[in-house]
Amino acid sequence: MRKIFPAEELARDARFIRQTNEQRLGDPRGARVAGGNTNERLAKLTPELANGPDRARALMHGIFVGEIQALEGAGRTCWDFEVGEDVPLALKLDMARQCWDEARHCEISVSLAEHMGTELGEFAENGLLYEAACNPDPVLRLTGVNRALEGLAIDVFNTMKEFGNLAGDPVLEFCEDWMLADEVTHVKMGSDWLRRLTENDKERLDKALEFQKVVDRLFSFNGFRGEDDDSPIQLTRRFRELAGFSDDEIDEIADMSREARVEAAS
Amino acid sequence: MTQTKRPREPFAPWDRRALPGLFDVEETAKRVGHYKWVEIKLFEALGGWVATVPELDVKMRLGTHCYHHAWHADLFDKRLPELREMKTDRLTVPANDHMVAFIDAMTEPEGPEMTIEKLVGVYRVLIPHKIAAYTYHRNATSEITDMPTVRILDFILQDEFNDWREGEMLIQSMIESDEEIDRAMVHQTRLEKLMLAAGGIAGPGSIGDPYVDLPEEN
Repeated sequence: MRKIFPAEELARDARFIRQTNEQRLGDPRGARVAGGNTNERLAKLTPELANGPDRARALMHGIFVGEIQALEGAGRTCWDFEVGEDVPLALKLDMARQCWDEARHCEISVSLAEHMGTELGEFAENGLLYEAACNPDPVLRLTGVNRALEGLAIDVFNTMKEFGNLAGDPVLEFCEDWMLADEVTHVKMGSDWLRRLTENDKERLDKALEFQKVVDRLFSFNGFRGEDDDSPIQLTRRFRELAGFSDDEIDEIADMSREARVEAAS
Repeated sequence: MTQTKRPREPFAPWDRRALPGLFDVEETAKRVGHYKWVEIKLFEALGGWVATVPELDVKMRLGTHCYHHAWHADLFDKRLPELREMKTDRLTVPANDHMVAFIDAMTEPEGPEMTIEKLVGVYRVLIPHKIAAYTYHRNATSEITDMPTVRILDFILQDEFNDWREGEMLIQSMIESDEEIDRAMVHQTRLEKLMLAAGGIAGPGSIGDPYVDLPEEN
């Protein structure tokens, strides 16, 4: 088996449809789910929105395929790097633990998708998340995946938990809360390893944080995640603090999202 | 009223644990180091394969089992300093070159059409050999002096049996033709021969030697 497995070759059964972001924008289901005008597209996700239930179903399907790619990414980190030469054994043990967590998240989210009336493959998948997990530098990979993407997962799960609460769906709320606990752990793993592996390497630390920003920016399109009350996905300050983010770092993500939102609205 | 001064035996009548064991501290550390090496190689491979298998249930099981074996590696890693090996990497080595060849062959399949080979290598060859070696060690070592290793092996064996059962059921559910049976058997045979050459996961003597030496005839 090769080291570094390309995103284009991720193994899927016939139900999964891979699309690029450009293809997704041309998908007629996209407009129905996202909303017909800017106000709808940038509104906070609630059950009362006309497109709220569809958007929640699409998001849950997105969470499911995201969890598969997170599982694959953590698994590849176990394989792609050599103990001692590239990374300490303890880092790989953490990644193996993350594999188990992500496998459970796949089980949870595929069950929740079904619970919400969604069929597997109803929405398309893109490989962006896994691509961040292909970085050949383990520090950059962990920073991009565990701090940027798993950080985004904290915000998404918290939003879905609130959606479950507002919709009177205790199953959704219960499951999202459990997944949220795991994600905080994964982000903390990323923060801890970033600190430990770059303790005496400022240049590598800067590169890793820059890569994190690139990934954060990539997943901030249209500023859909932010701290404003009406942001579609709420930036969750409290959980990010628990996971090792400083106030400055959270401010920076909030600013990035705000700028993207202004850009999208204009 | 309880008679507090009435003497009792140090071992209860039902406690038949014996003091002697087959392995001294050095031999135990050597074996534990080999076990740890195997567990590391296994969890790395299971993690790596997740992206390469299209079957959703297999993908999720591999992710789950990946952690089980990582945990086993961690347990063995923590046991080594207790066996007077402070530089644990020194003993985290394969038993011999044949064991390296076995792991190389087991981790060779990559294509999405090779899930049967991936599963057969792990669940029909490696895990049964691990169960055998761990069971031998568990039963042959002293249950008093080396109880920490016994306790570790008991936890690990529980995982191994559960994982073996799940893996075997996945294989049975995937094999639907004579050709697939042949594929499974060919791969199993190839790997079994490599394991035979290695002498088991801890090298020759992994499960002891059941043969009796007869005196040479004049």
